[in-house]
Amino acid sequence: MSVALFLSVFLIAACGLIYELIAGTLASYLLGDSVFQFSTIIGCYLFAMGIGSYLSRFLRRGLVARFVSTELMVGLVGGFSSSLLFLAFAYTDAFRLVLYVVVILVGTLVGLEIPLLMRILKERFQFRELVSHVLTFDYLGALGASLLFPILLVPKLGLVRSALLFGILNAGVALWSTYLFRGQLGGGYGLRVGCLLVLGVLGGGMVFADRISSAADNSLYADEVIFSRDTRYQRIVLTKWKDDLRLFLSSHLQFSSRDEYRYHEALVHPGLAALPGARRVLVVGGGDGLAVREILKYPAVESVTLVDLDPEMTQLFSRHPVLSALNQHSLTAPRVHVINADAFRWLDSNADRFDFIVADFPDPTSYSLGKLFTTTFYRLAAKHLSSGGLLVVQSTSPLFARQSYWCIVETVKQAGLRTYPYHVYVPSFGEWGFVIGSLGPYEPPSQLPGGLRFLSARNVGEMFVFPVDMQPVEAEPNRLNNQILVRYYEQEWKDIAR
Amino acid sequence: MLGLARKTDRAVAGRFVHDSFPMGHRLRDRSPFAAPKRQVKIPIVIVGGGMAGLNAAWHLDKRGFRDFVLLEMEPEAGGNSRWGENEISRFPWAAHYVPVPAKGESLARELFEELGLFRDGKWDDRALCFAPQERLFIYGRWQEGIEPENATPQEIAQYRRFNDKMAEFRATGEFTIPMERGAKPSPLDGMSMSDWLERERFDSATLRWYVNYACRDDYGVLAKNTSAWAGIQYFASREPEEKGPLTWPEGNGWIARRLLEKLGRYVRTGSVVYRVRRDGARLHVLTEQAEYIAEAVIFAAPTFLAPYLIEGAPRADGFQYSPWLTANLTLDRMPREKGLDLAWDNVIYDSPTLGYVNATHMSLATHVERTVWTFYWSLAEHSPEDARRLLLSKDWNYWKEAILSDLERAHPDIRQCVARIDIMRLGHAMARPAPGFMFSENRERWTKPLGRIFFANSDLSGFSIFEEAQYRGVTAAKEALGVVGRS
Repeated sequence: MSVALFLSVFLIAACGLIYELIAGTLASYLLGDSVFQFSTIIGCYLFAMGIGSYLSRFLRRGLVARFVSTELMVGLVGGFSSSLLFLAFAYTDAFRLVLYVVVILVGTLVGLEIPLLMRILKERFQFRELVSHVLTFDYLGALGASLLFPILLVPKLGLVRSALLFGILNAGVALWSTYLFRGQLGGGYGLRVGCLLVLGVLGGGMVFADRISSAADNSLYADEVIFSRDTRYQRIVLTKWKDDLRLFLSSHLQFSSRDEYRYHEALVHPGLAALPGARRVLVVGGGDGLAVREILKYPAVESVTLVDLDPEMTQLFSRHPVLSALNQHSLTAPRVHVINADAFRWLDSNADRFDFIVADFPDPTSYSLGKLFTTTFYRLAAKHLSSGGLLVVQSTSPLFARQSYWCIVETVKQAGLRTYPYHVYVPSFGEWGFVIGSLGPYEPPSQLPGGLRFLSARNVGEMFVFPVDMQPVEAEPNRLNNQILVRYYEQEWKDIAR
Repeated sequence: MLGLARKTDRAVAGRFVHDSFPMGHRLRDRSPFAAPKRQVKIPIVIVGGGMAGLNAAWHLDKRGFRDFVLLEMEPEAGGNSRWGENEISRFPWAAHYVPVPAKGESLARELFEELGLFRDGKWDDRALCFAPQERLFIYGRWQEGIEPENATPQEIAQYRRFNDKMAEFRATGEFTIPMERGAKPSPLDGMSMSDWLERERFDSATLRWYVNYACRDDYGVLAKNTSAWAGIQYFASREPEEKGPLTWPEGNGWIARRLLEKLGRYVRTGSVVYRVRRDGARLHVLTEQAEYIAEAVIFAAPTFLAPYLIEGAPRADGFQYSPWLTANLTLDRMPREKGLDLAWDNVIYDSPTLGYVNATHMSLATHVERTVWTFYWSLAEHSPEDARRLLLSKDWNYWKEAILSDLERAHPDIRQCVARIDIMRLGHAMARPAPGFMFSENRERWTKPLGRIFFANSDLSGFSIFEEAQYRGVTAAKEALGVVGRS
């Protein structure tokens, strides 16, 4: 009996300390400055325990019932503390307020526990023994928790589950107390039902813990995150809402499965359908395999080489069932060769020639990506074109980033190619632009492969007509030594975001 | 085992490399050298394989003259354009760029055209420094360019006035590259650059920092110790037709490498010239390997060495040199930082050092995980003598700590990123254009030959830059060809 009693002291002490550690750790993670976070949180917590101890004097009757309900409240608030804090950080500006309210609430409730328990037990033990035992187990529990927390809990369970686990322990102690003190309690069915209810809620929290921790990520993206990984090169995030699958690379939307066919048909067919003799095709960037899917619609094409920097990206789109279904298993097709290399250096280090080259890189958001949109790059690409070959370039939006778009066109021109700019409407992107670069004259194709969902021979030509608000504007060509495009792009998207 | 020892950061490997002072001190002290093993008769001997010597050789070879040798005391030629290489990148040891030569700089253009840098009226886009070229760490973050932003309207007005002044100086035609083409004696040489700023009421702190930085970076001297004429030369002499500068992973080592590919057969490395004796029309150039009996000598080594090596040469009064420390840091991951992306030239505001140049900047790769930084420090706040003493008295660990502490201001986690720091100490790295030196008798007498010895080092121009070294080297080569009867 007495061992069981003191074991519950041990457990509630451990729980109390865990909540304090979780609050401190979370605040350090999210706000930085761990010295400040831990100092203020420990201070508030201990002070709140003092408030709890003081308040305990006003509880006079029904001590066991009060103790059990206190335990349940600690279990609920403490158990959900880290979920609450994560969500507060992701969705509100009031993280600090929520943090200190939670700390003070848990501290006050924990402060109530020991005085109540000592008063419950005072009939069973001598005062001398009681104080000695309760405090001994209290401090032992604190030691256990403080060792367990960094060694096992944070690395194995994470903050959300650790808090929930200890919430369950608190609720367990509450349930157990209804039996230990059943003599003093009398009846207590209502309390037991309450205990089971709290246990159920916390257990449910455990099951959905993953969703809670990714909900913070979700706030950035509109839909549910189904895949997220930091590779050596970028952050790959996939979201899904109903049948809409979206790919984000380092927070920039790459496609939406609902309308990507518009983008990829427009990227590939105006060029490739105009080259009935095309045998060898190169795709640089485009690790999602969606451009390759369109290219494989030409039986005459003998080989497609895809050069993408990130092996995790091409593997994901080769193996993931949903994604490889989306690109119709293009990356594992026998005609397709996937090479994971830096496109610029790869082109520079070999002499292969291609009938059609697709440059499908992310927008020039940084100086590193900007290199792939320079005169030097297009000149190099042109050297890899067979006679009569064509280059097509994904060229950002001629509507939202008009000067950036015409800067890319001008850059392709400066690299010694004839340019044929065109655009398409992709609902999830808006108006989107491309440019075909060629060594000789080019005519939009009059025939297209079968099975297209967007393009028809009749509307290909329309894409080359630019409405007034997307007409050419003056822009300098983008060179390695000015990277003017990165500046245009940053300025134009900044103006949109305002 | 219990971790009671002092807490240590990640261990950094490295050492001093290319130490040249032991040989320098032997020459200075006229220590005995072994007698030459053999005699070689050869019309022209070039002493020194830096840019001046290599360009002298380039000119001789180009004129079809092949009877010459180039003697270099170090195991590798290149001088201040030497370079290194590791598993990540090539990197420079000192000189790391050449501004795009203006139309009037015919010699530099001729060489660069030959090296394929200038074709069909266009400069090679792979050698023109990629953007972003420069950045400055100021107010806790990196900004683009090294002229401080966030200036007050008064400061901006001063910058504008300063630039206008420099344009005026440029328009006089007296500030040219090579300097000899336009330079006319000027009272500006009599005052220091900081006195001139004072006189012209340029009192903006950031403008003064900027001008001081330029003097430290180009000449290794503080503005208060730089001739105002030389200080202005830096800003007023250039009018590039294209945004540059020209640079390569190994800095000017690229030029040295390409020249050595053409001219390597003339070069004898490890040949320490310890005496040049004049004997009528003949010159005896003594090394431990051979005694060269020549009709003309092109002395392309630093001029201050001449009195120690050439019998009967006067003292080289007035020639002063800044000692430099350069370090190559191998980073196996990229440090965290705030503000603009890593640039080619990276400068920390108000640091005594000159910052660093990123060797992988000229890589076409879009993703770089490891790199080499070349860190520059001209120790300008000391006198050259004190700086040299400091350079030699402190151990590698001292300089390593000094370098990391400096970088830590802009990169708090730099100690977790650096795997290796190799340090080169140069006692006489660059000529110092001290006030009064540019138009002094002391300087000008050495631009004239001593009998059949033609001086060629860039220090004859008062400051050490590639174009001056090339001009002096080629000029000396032309004169030498004249006396051997092949002009």
